[in-house]
Amino acid sequence: MKKILSFSALIFSMSFCFSQEQIVVNDVPMFKYEVLEKKIQEEKDVLLVLNFWSTTCAPCVKELPDFMEVNNKYKDNPKFKMLLVSLDRPKDKDRVVQFIKNKKLTAEVILLDDIKRMNTWIPRFEKNWDGNIPVTIVYKNSEKVHFNDGEMTKTELENVITKNL
Amino acid sequence: MKNIKTLVAAAIIGLSLLSFTAINKNNEEPKQKASSSKGYEVGDTAADFKLKNIDGKMVSLSDFKKAKGFIVVFTCNHCPYAKKYEDRIIALDKKYKNAGYPVIAINPNDPNVQPEDGFQQMTTRAKEKGFTFPYLVDEGQKVYPQYGATKTPHVFILQKEGAKNIVKYIGAIDNNYDDPNDVSEHYVQDAMAALLSGKPVANAKTVAIGCTIKVKK
Repeated sequence: MKKILSFSALIFSMSFCFSQEQIVVNDVPMFKYEVLEKKIQEEKDVLLVLNFWSTTCAPCVKELPDFMEVNNKYKDNPKFKMLLVSLDRPKDKDRVVQFIKNKKLTAEVILLDDIKRMNTWIPRFEKNWDGNIPVTIVYKNSEKVHFNDGEMTKTELENVITKNL
Repeated sequence: MKNIKTLVAAAIIGLSLLSFTAINKNNEEPKQKASSSKGYEVGDTAADFKLKNIDGKMVSLSDFKKAKGFIVVFTCNHCPYAKKYEDRIIALDKKYKNAGYPVIAINPNDPNVQPEDGFQQMTTRAKEKGFTFPYLVDEGQKVYPQYGATKTPHVFILQKEGAKNIVKYIGAIDNNYDDPNDVSEHYVQDAMAALLSGKPVANAKTVAIGCTIKVKK
């Protein structure tokens, strides 16, 4: 019994292993909300910048180059991590993969495949979030330190990072 | 093998429940400012407006003498989420107009920022889709902040109480923007069913992903 349990724990934790340098992208992992939340909880020792976006969202696409500049500046710092949470539909996954290649996204991207439970997970991320995107949430040692409702400039993002890193 | 699968599933559910509690504890934040600065809350009195319809005529809530209330939907042409709901908004109007709750659609976006949401484009789209309800322009972008709309689509159900329009529901239309055949929670229909039978709305506030309102620069 104990063996089976630890085995399942191993499988469970394995599913959250990600390479830090995800440059060659052929696939985007699809997460349910709980898996993403667990991942945030596991980023205990980093400043985690979580950006909610979609390939169909013009202001999201517009701010991504700035986010990439910031990511490229900090990505070698082991205390820093950026995670782009795509809200595209699971059936548009290929489009997301193509977008990552075309736009040379250097941050890790996951697809939050949980359309029907938005009313559950949106308030769990932030009770003041109405569901508009883009939204950026910054966690320090898995604790939320900043909620940015809407677009964020490069300076605003860097200010939050330097203040908390 | 099946047992292991069940155990893994159980472990995932167990751990995610734990992390829910953990995150909720971490999220204690100072209380928000008074609701007035962030638009309406359920129970507030909604202000009337006078906005231009796609036929060029001005429309106010007070024009609808026989209405018992309104399904006010902030929506627009360009937004992929709003587009997905066009047919469902038409269906809501068909279903509830005769019961005294017509749909009033308002486009809150600035056409200079989002040209697809211009007046001409609104007229064209309404004709293409056969909109059965007013599709109003929030010229000057004064009405959406008053209501507290933050995205498209964003629904506010109002019920008349004497001369006042009381906000009874704020939020999404249902829980699946992408597939109308796979909806498991019909938020607006449930709220309307409650209002029509004189009961309180159980789920009076919901959230869903939508497009940011495009504000004049």
